[in-house]
Amino acid sequence: MEPVIEVRDLRRDYVTSKGLLRRKTQTVRAVDGVSFTVERGEIFGMLGQNGAGKTTTIKMLITLLAPTSGVCRVLGCDTFGQEKQIRPRINFIFGGEMGVYRRLSARDNLKYFGNLYGVPPRLRDERIEEILRLVDLEEAADRLAETYSKGMLQRLQIARGLINDPEIVFMDEPTVGLDPLGAHMLRDIIRRLRDAGKTVLLTTHYLPEAEELCDRMVILNRGKIAASGTPAQIRGAEETMEDAYLRLIREVEV
Amino acid sequence: MTWQVLLSTMLLQMKQSFVRPMFRFCLLANPVLNTILICEMFRSSGRTDFAAYAVLGAGLMGLWCCICFSSAGDLNRERYMGTLSLLFAVPAPVETVLWGKILGNTLLSLGTLLLAWLTAGVLYETWAIPARPGWLLLVLVITILCFLQVSVLTAWLLTLSRKTTLYMNCLELPVVFLCGFVVPVEELPAWLQAISNLLPPTWAVRLLRMAVAGVPDENAFWRCLGILAVLMLAAGLLSRRCGRAVDRRVRVLGNLEVC
Ligand SMILES: Nc1ncnc2c1ncn2[C@@H]1O[C@H](COP(=O)(O)OP(=O)(O)OP(=O)(O)O)[C@@H](O)[C@H]1O
Ligand SMILES: [Mg+2]
Repeated sequence: MEPVIEVRDLRRDYVTSKGLLRRKTQTVRAVDGVSFTVERGEIFGMLGQNGAGKTTTIKMLITLLAPTSGVCRVLGCDTFGQEKQIRPRINFIFGGEMGVYRRLSARDNLKYFGNLYGVPPRLRDERIEEILRLVDLEEAADRLAETYSKGMLQRLQIARGLINDPEIVFMDEPTVGLDPLGAHMLRDIIRRLRDAGKTVLLTTHYLPEAEELCDRMVILNRGKIAASGTPAQIRGAEETMEDAYLRLIREVEV
Repeated sequence: MTWQVLLSTMLLQMKQSFVRPMFRFCLLANPVLNTILICEMFRSSGRTDFAAYAVLGAGLMGLWCCICFSSAGDLNRERYMGTLSLLFAVPAPVETVLWGKILGNTLLSLGTLLLAWLTAGVLYETWAIPARPGWLLLVLVITILCFLQVSVLTAWLLTLSRKTTLYMNCLELPVVFLCGFVVPVEELPAWLQAISNLLPPTWAVRLLRMAVAGVPDENAFWRCLGILAVLMLAAGLLSRRCGRAVDRRVRVLGNLEVC
């Protein structure tokens, strides 16, 4: 067993200020002392209410946000300070329609990001063909992304997240906006990644999906871990995952 | 890898900029209008070298307008598209990406100089022929580098804030006057001249004028070039440090996105 993600007592505050004169600053503690580890080859889930701190945690893991305090290591390196070692080996997929150059085609988008990840041109082009097939964008590959539907943009995001053949893929609500077939495709991709020995960390609000896919998971609430374990452990004696989730959130809220 | 990033970013930027109406206005209409305006202003001044002033003035204003609006505006656009944070999270240095973007815009924007020259020639029958074509070529290359550097530095500072468009508008005109794009710096009050002389573009513009109009004393040209080189080196070092600091700062602040 080799831990590839190591988070210990992680905290993140956002400081926002309002007003021109007499600036008032306000601090929001988005992540409040979170600890967990993820082993290589695992599919690890992060669940929790809106605003629980899932996206914030992922942003710290993908080197986009500096932790306020605590340990945040990926592949044995600190995400703030040693990001150079981490970045080529990971990638991420965010849900939604953002993060795509609308005035470029899917193929050009992927080519460009391939370059930014330093993938050699020959390998890059081969991989693009393969990934386009995987996310079912072959036919639309040369159309401008601004003509895509929401789900197609989401597929393009997924494709972008695979362009450097990452060892760890971070996914933040990757099935948002996908049709049932699309969601099924993504779950297939995730399982395929696991079979290839990759690690996946994902967040979702869709509990059956989490239960089906994840080896282990944590449930966050207001920046703190409310529960962790295998899906079976978390479900416990409850009939469905949803029942267990609702009970847990109500318990900690009281 | 670095070259590939630089080049592909540059091409991507050129593609994206050219389809934008505002950019096309800056690139195509602005230099023509400004040339006419400046020519009319100078015609009654009795100066014989007004063509050189008009062409350079309008061309440089157009160039600066394109660069300024695009380096700042593009960052904002990327912020809203959600691609800005991606650029900070990929292995390629964000500095290289920034240079690529600004290089793309600048190369496109060079068209303004050509357009200004054509406008003055066709409408006023004053074909500004450079006195020293060799110098002009050399100085043009250096000017491009100098403008690139200024915009990279500006872009770094602008990533720190979400109010990019505001600053971008505040930045455009002062530089036009401070660096003597239209009116020679020598006409400014002494305290402003002191500031002007610290800004590399001022010296680049001086060199351009010398190359176009010729100088009685060749040494003046080389002296000017030396000063520009020193200033650009200093600006380059500053920009590097600034870039490193900003790269850390944005991740501490967490403001690469709109939410
Ligand atoms: N850039 C920011 N500036 C200030 N506060 C922020 C910022 N980003 C997030 N927050 C705050 O941090 C907290 C956690 O947000 P986060 O996006 O991590 O939640 P989440 O678990 O991903 O929620 P969701 O399920 O809605 O995506 C929220 O209270 C949010 O308001
Ligand atoms: Mg979120």
